This record gives sequence, structure tokens and C-alpha cells, in this order.
Amino acid sequence: MDIISQLQEQVNSIAALTFNTFGTLQRDAPPVRLSPSYPEPPPNPTEDSANFADQPKLMSAALVKAAKQFDALVAALPPPEGGEEAQLRRIAELQAENDAVGQELQKQLEAAEKELKQVQELFSQAADNCLNLKKPD
Amino acid sequence: MATATYPPPPPFYRLYKDYLQNPKSAPEPPPPIEGTYVCFGGNYTTNDVLPSLEDQGVRQLYPKGPNIDFKKELRSLNRELQLHILELADVLVERPSQYARQVEEISLIFKNLHHLLNSLRPHQARATLIHILELQIQRRKEALEDIKRYVPKNIGDAAPN
Repeated sequence: MDIISQLQEQVNSIAALTFNTFGTLQRDAPPVRLSPSYPEPPPNPTEDSANFADQPKLMSAALVKAAKQFDALVAALPPPEGGEEAQLRRIAELQAENDAVGQELQKQLEAAEKELKQVQELFSQAADNCLNLKKPD
Repeated sequence: MATATYPPPPPFYRLYKDYLQNPKSAPEPPPPIEGTYVCFGGNYTTNDVLPSLEDQGVRQLYPKGPNIDFKKELRSLNRELQLHILELADVLVERPSQYARQVEEISLIFKNLHHLLNSLRPHQARATLIHILELQIQRRKEALEDIKRYVPKNIGDAAPN
């Protein structure tokens, strides 16, 4: 994939990681005690609390990794070479050169085909001579 | 513009009744459209250009100007994005009801990022064109060399009998 598409994919994956991170944390967070006047929340020692402490670390590590990859891709962009006019001028130059080379190629091709026809002519004459010389006994 | 559920086909076929006998009796095909045209009730333009952010009503975060340093702007937008994500996490912890503002900021940064990347595309298209032209010139020159190399060699071999 070209570099710009890769950059666009990376931006979209950063967005996906972001909303997955916040969504998962909001959905799976264990209840928290808001103020001293409310009773303590019922303790839920399910497998949530065991794995849940790692979730923020893992997900934020993934987010940071994606951001670093984006930076690496940005660094891999080719250097900006001049502006639009420079590119258009180069295109005009290359088109002119292409035309010139194409015409020369066409000329050489025609000359070569002419010679090919001459050689074929000569061969057919030679073959005719050979056939005429060999008289059946 | 007439609209119907199942419209009949356009009636132009009647103009071509005598086409086999006299090809000139029928009208020429219409010329290609230039400028804007209407298709199925929508306005389209033949000049494909990326609309600027202001046209879409989105604030532009990176500086305008003739030459934008894309790498620097992309990197700074990336850092802004990370900062805003952290801010969103903070807001969710302290003042959960005010998340909307942060979410809007984050989506603004994403729109700017995508617009920057899209504005790189014309440059890429021209660079691709340059590369293709260079390859074509190189191939033509090689073909020229091949012809020059092989043809004179064979002239001496084809001795007339």
C-alpha cells in the first residue's frame, strides 16, 4: 500500500483504539465509592478485578504504540520536492523528451523494417535460384 | 425535470430510423459535458478538487499558506491528538457530564488530519506521472539501442547470393 494510504489507515486505527479504550473501561469498570455517606459498594471478586487492572495499561500501551507508528510513517514520507509548478515543468520536459525519443524510435523502426523486407526479398531470390539450379534428373 | 416511478426510455431512437441508408441523417452524439451538471437531482462538477476545510465548516488547525511542511504539521497534530485523548480521560474522571466538548475537539483534530493527508494526493499523482514518463523514456531508449545494435550486425551477414 502506498505511504499516504498507510497513514490514513493508521489514523483510523488510532481512532478505533481510542474509542475501544474508553468504551471498554467505561463498560467494565468496577463500582467505586462516591462519598462517605453512601454505603460501600458490594464487593465483586469476579475475574473482572483480576484482569481489569491490566486493561488500562495494555490499552494505553497499544495507543502509544499506534501513535509512534504514525510518527514513523510520517518520517518515511518522501521529502517535499519543490512545488506544484516545478512538478508541472518537469512533466512538460519529460513529455517533450518522450516525444523526441518516440519519433527517433519510429524512424529507426521504419528503417529496420525496410531492411528486413530487402533481406526477405534477397532470400526469396536466392531460394528461387537454388530451386532453378537443381534440375530433376 | 420530469420524474416518474418507471419512466420510459428516452425517445431519441426515432431519430436513427434511416441510419443504415444514410448515416448522416441522424444527429451526432452530444459533446462531453464541461463544468457542472445535474445527475439524479444532485449537482456534480467535472472539475474534481478537494474542498477546503472552511467550505465544510471545519476550523483549520494547521497554518495556511503556499508551502506547508507536511511532516511537521502531521507530527504536531498527532501530539495534539494524544494530549486531547488524555484530557478526555481526565474529564471522564472528574467532570463526566462535560465530555462532549473534548469529543468535539478530538473529532476536529481527526478531520484536520484527514484533510492534510488528502491534500497530499495531487502531489502524489503528479509524482507518479513523472515516474511513469521516466520509465517510458528509459524503455524507448533501450529499444532504440537494441535496434541500433542488432540491425547493422545483420546487414553484413545477409550477403546477396
